[in-house]
Amino acid sequence: MMRAQGLEVVPPAFEAEALAYLDSLYRSALRLTRVPADAEDLVQETYLKAFRAAGRFEPGTNLRAWLFTILHNTARNLARDRARDTVSVDSEFVDRAADGPPAGGASAGAAETPETLLLRDTLAPDLQAAIDALPDAFRQAVWLRDVEEFSYAEIAEMLSIPVGTVMSRISRGRQALYERLQARAGRRPSPVGVTDA
Amino acid sequence: MADCQGIDPLVTPFIDGQLPGEDRRAVEEHLRVCAPCHSRVIAEQAVHDLIRARCHALDASAPGPLREKCVEMARLSLGDAVRHPAAHPRSLVFDRRVAHRSRTARVAPFALAASLVLVVGGAFLYQATAQSARVLAVELTADHLKCFAMNSALGTHQMAAAVESSMASGFDWRMHLPDNPSRAGLELVGARPCLYGEGKIAHIMYRHQGHPLSLFMLPKTARAQQLVEVLGHEAAIWCVGNRTFVVVAREPRPEVERIASFVRASLR
Repeated sequence: MMRAQGLEVVPPAFEAEALAYLDSLYRSALRLTRVPADAEDLVQETYLKAFRAAGRFEPGTNLRAWLFTILHNTARNLARDRARDTVSVDSEFVDRAADGPPAGGASAGAAETPETLLLRDTLAPDLQAAIDALPDAFRQAVWLRDVEEFSYAEIAEMLSIPVGTVMSRISRGRQALYERLQARAGRRPSPVGVTDA
Repeated sequence: MADCQGIDPLVTPFIDGQLPGEDRRAVEEHLRVCAPCHSRVIAEQAVHDLIRARCHALDASAPGPLREKCVEMARLSLGDAVRHPAAHPRSLVFDRRVAHRSRTARVAPFALAASLVLVVGGAFLYQATAQSARVLAVELTADHLKCFAMNSALGTHQMAAAVESSMASGFDWRMHLPDNPSRAGLELVGARPCLYGEGKIAHIMYRHQGHPLSLFMLPKTARAQQLVEVLGHEAAIWCVGNRTFVVVAREPRPEVERIASFVRASLR
């Protein structure tokens, strides 16, 4: 790295690789903010910070996870700046609220397991809506694990919470999704002939 | 045999295939005899599998303009302006030739603190901008855009006295805002904590005929008076004592000059 007067070179490869994760960062930002304009701002801010901090990135480590950490830190800071820290308030609330007994879900008949029913009945837009309706803390954890496939440790770093909390939020989040989707399926007429594209 | 409480923290890693053999066997054994835990695992597993199955359908592509803006973010970080301030007097960021040429040696300020909680600090700003008023203007224009975009600030309206008192307490800057801003078509929005300044730079926001306009004050900074065009905005820079002031707006150059001279004359 060339250093001169407090400036250093950002390798072009860094920029190229960082920008390759734009779609993935954007869709996660969208799940964080649920507002496209806010998601765009969040992603821009993430890149601005990432490019400026490029010299601090350790080559060989996971650039995608690093960018996601910046994304989530930025989102938290913005929430704080706006003096409505929805993330932490929300998560305390849900962590308490979710400490109830585990969901009993296996009441379906023997031939159709809940899994096959859920897979058959739930279209992507329904799933999307159910994910968006989750409290922030659960939504982030489930999204980062099941969609972005980060490790527990990486998610812990991103959300600034212990690994155990990551796992419990994933678990509670999945259970909440299950209940929501089951309830939805129960309200809906039989989806005969409807297939997910 | 483990009880439900002992099994609880193992269920999620069990489903995710992250559990070592011994724990895995303990969970399996428990699930054979415990219907509630068994139900829970099935439910969680079903959701996990469902999300994986619909994963590609949940995908969203970043809008094209966002991609362009993010590429620009790399340009915002480059040091061309620092090293060749005169070479590109009209466009720093949108000039493709600049972007192309700088591909071999892209330069970014490095003065970020150890934490990943990355707030770009005043230290960086002063350090880098000792070189170029253009970089200063780029920084502040980016901040101007961000502050308005992120704070939905245009809808708010703070009283002048509140802004003045926050300037006095936050920046030890005892000042009076222009008395009749409407004479210059200005309407006070308020003061915001600055993303880039770490609180070291004062940022006062106005509406100018409905459009955002920013007034920045940088303490302990001296600058020659000038007008710089960056990022499609005009930045008017001037200095009083050991304070530098910058007005940023996306307005025609003469209009920004007119507003800047109004503020310069009426800010006390």
